[in-house]
Amino acid sequence: MDKILRINMGAEGGPKATAVPFGDYAGLGGRGLTSAIVSKEVPPDCHPLSDTNKLVIAPGLLSGTAGSMTGRISVGCKSPLTGGIKESNAGGQPSQVLARLGYGAIVLEGKPKGDDLYKIFINKDGVRITTDNRLKMLGNYDTVEKMKKEFGEKIACISIGPAGEMKLNAASVACTDTELRPTRHAGRGGVGAVMGSKGVKVIVLDDTDMNMRQPKEPEKFKEANKAFTDGLRKHGVTGEALPAYGTNILANILNEAGGYPTYNFKEGRFQGTSKISGETEAALETERGGVATHACHRGCVIRCSGIYNDKDGHYLTKQPEYETVWAHGANCGIDDLDKIAMLDFLDDNIGLDTIEMGATIGVAMEAGLLKFGDADGAINLIKEVGKGTPLGRIIGSGAAITGRVFGVERVPVVKGQAMPAYDPRAVQGIGVTYATTPMGADHTAGYAVATNILKVGGFVDPLKPEGQIDLSRNLQIATAAIDSTGMCLFIAFAIMDQPETFQALLDLINAFYGLNLTADDVVELGKKVLKMERDFNIRAGFTKEQDRLPPFFKTQPLLPHNVTFQVKDEDLDKVFNW
Amino acid sequence: MQNKNTFTNNLKNLCLLIEPALFPKFFEILQGGFMVKCRVGISIKTLLCEKLGLTPAYVMGRISTIFLDGKPVDDIESAVIKDGSSLALSAAMPGLVGATMRREGVYSSLRSSITYEEKHSNYLSKEGLISLKLYNLLIDELGPLLLKRGIFVKSTELSAFLTKQSDNFWRGCKEILLGGKPVERSVLQKSNLPAWYDWVYLTVLTG
Repeated sequence: MDKILRINMGAEGGPKATAVPFGDYAGLGGRGLTSAIVSKEVPPDCHPLSDTNKLVIAPGLLSGTAGSMTGRISVGCKSPLTGGIKESNAGGQPSQVLARLGYGAIVLEGKPKGDDLYKIFINKDGVRITTDNRLKMLGNYDTVEKMKKEFGEKIACISIGPAGEMKLNAASVACTDTELRPTRHAGRGGVGAVMGSKGVKVIVLDDTDMNMRQPKEPEKFKEANKAFTDGLRKHGVTGEALPAYGTNILANILNEAGGYPTYNFKEGRFQGTSKISGETEAALETERGGVATHACHRGCVIRCSGIYNDKDGHYLTKQPEYETVWAHGANCGIDDLDKIAMLDFLDDNIGLDTIEMGATIGVAMEAGLLKFGDADGAINLIKEVGKGTPLGRIIGSGAAITGRVFGVERVPVVKGQAMPAYDPRAVQGIGVTYATTPMGADHTAGYAVATNILKVGGFVDPLKPEGQIDLSRNLQIATAAIDSTGMCLFIAFAIMDQPETFQALLDLINAFYGLNLTADDVVELGKKVLKMERDFNIRAGFTKEQDRLPPFFKTQPLLPHNVTFQVKDEDLDKVFNW
Repeated sequence: MQNKNTFTNNLKNLCLLIEPALFPKFFEILQGGFMVKCRVGISIKTLLCEKLGLTPAYVMGRISTIFLDGKPVDDIESAVIKDGSSLALSAAMPGLVGATMRREGVYSSLRSSITYEEKHSNYLSKEGLISLKLYNLLIDELGPLLLKRGIFVKSTELSAFLTKQSDNFWRGCKEILLGGKPVERSVLQKSNLPAWYDWVYLTVLTG
């Protein structure tokens, strides 16, 4: 993984691929690398769909190795949804395969002149870019089926659906899973629209005859990987809860806490939660012959995913995750898991961010376009997006635009990006991160990443009001660092509670690269990434006024606890004072 | 004529003997909430350890997320169960917010606006009814114990639950006792329960 593959889609005579050394980007991976390239090479004031924007696809520092949990892939660009820098990441197979092919990143640059659609095939022999207009407006599932017929089944695909081709703000980039299904998505921020603007439908990766990346210190690496894996397996969250019930295990908890946004963030509890909870979902999957414990990429030991079958026992979609079940469920007043699973399938196939779509349909319901609880109406709306009807294009442009078009006041977005499944009035601390992260409202921007062990920012007194500001800052720093490793964020719980597992993670990186990184170095990496991202946004015209939640969070109390968002603006402005 | 507002006068016992494979079907009731009769005016810790018989190690290590009346609890020794309280029990949860909800977790300050605070210290210890909800890993671990002891379920909710069950469920029900007498499954499938009783004392045994 010693080179970057730059593909100029607008080159004279047709797209041209060139492999170049890492150069100034040496030592970076995942989010660190995507944000470094975007921050340095993309004009901050460019139109996100113009030829000057770049789409950077980067495996993590440890992707392609034998290390556990190393299969996340980062997709970065200037976001058409937020207008700022974006890093969105996904699981699935492409990260491991791309890293084994020796590429630290693919950078799609320029823009083709015509309206041809391209596929890019990468294997040990090099890169082949061809037009394939048969793929136009195909869903992700059909696209991958065609690639399987053409290139065989030992491939991994990165693709866009019709939403990406139509350059809609909610378009995702799909990555195939271990069954070669396009179920893992870099969903946030409209990264699929940028891939569509480059005219690229699918990137097919084939690592046949390529070896796993080898560590500099094999024995130490093996030892550290065992300690790390053992740590994950023995922890209650990563070894039991997530494998048994998946991420949707959170539904009951957030509902009980009164922080489960319901009816477009009107209330904090949903009557039908027990019908759509992770516990119910897992039991249903097992009963129908699906799978409740399943890895999205090889090398994952947590296995928080699953296979969701329909009533007749046929594959419908992968296990819809917590955010998806919430967005299309409680947020829209829908308590039917089969309908939610269908919405999940449609989102994946059309290539849409499930959070953005659920939030957008909630806004459309608020506007009276359809009633809360109207599951079939919601399905039809997503189908409209896939067809590209005028209404579908509005919906596919996300919650902020839909809210403007239909005159809705309560639109849960920050920097134009829809808010995930935690109401910031009940959990004020996450509101601080929603407001201030360079990414727009994002629950993974300040994850529970061992700030206690990293000692990011020194001791924080959680009892003082400013503790929430300090914690949000520290969480954002730590998360930016982990996002750069290619590690799944779910390792957070084991490394937070078990210092020896955190040490094993450091040992893993050090043994692979022959380094002596300490926790302080990890913190510095996180700060560096955040600084680059903040700097890009400032140059793109962002001010502190964009680091705010929508006003309704301060004025409309949330039931059942009757709370509003209380963190002051001047405190939000302190988050990045370090 | 019975007074339908009187809890004990409008109660019927239902005992089901089921195959173990059917247990996940009862997740819906266990996570949706049910009533149990117990001492109230005591701390959460006392209830869990002394009344439910759980070991302190299990309570401290496993039940790491607790809600009393919808509010996350940090100190289970000072938080007091009252008559009519709602208590929800969970293992450790993923996500930042999952970590935030943990008892005395490092991120608990992020949800300080909804954290449970005990306002008084003197409560009369007496017999009462509380609502209990079990989530995730605790459904498997505590559910069988509570169903074996018996729980109170609103008959409308139980009836809705029973009438939607498939033939597979009923085939796995080896014995059905209503008011201590064996009955055919058709009695439970016809939505008769709500018309007769407000509450059902449900016992589920596996074997």
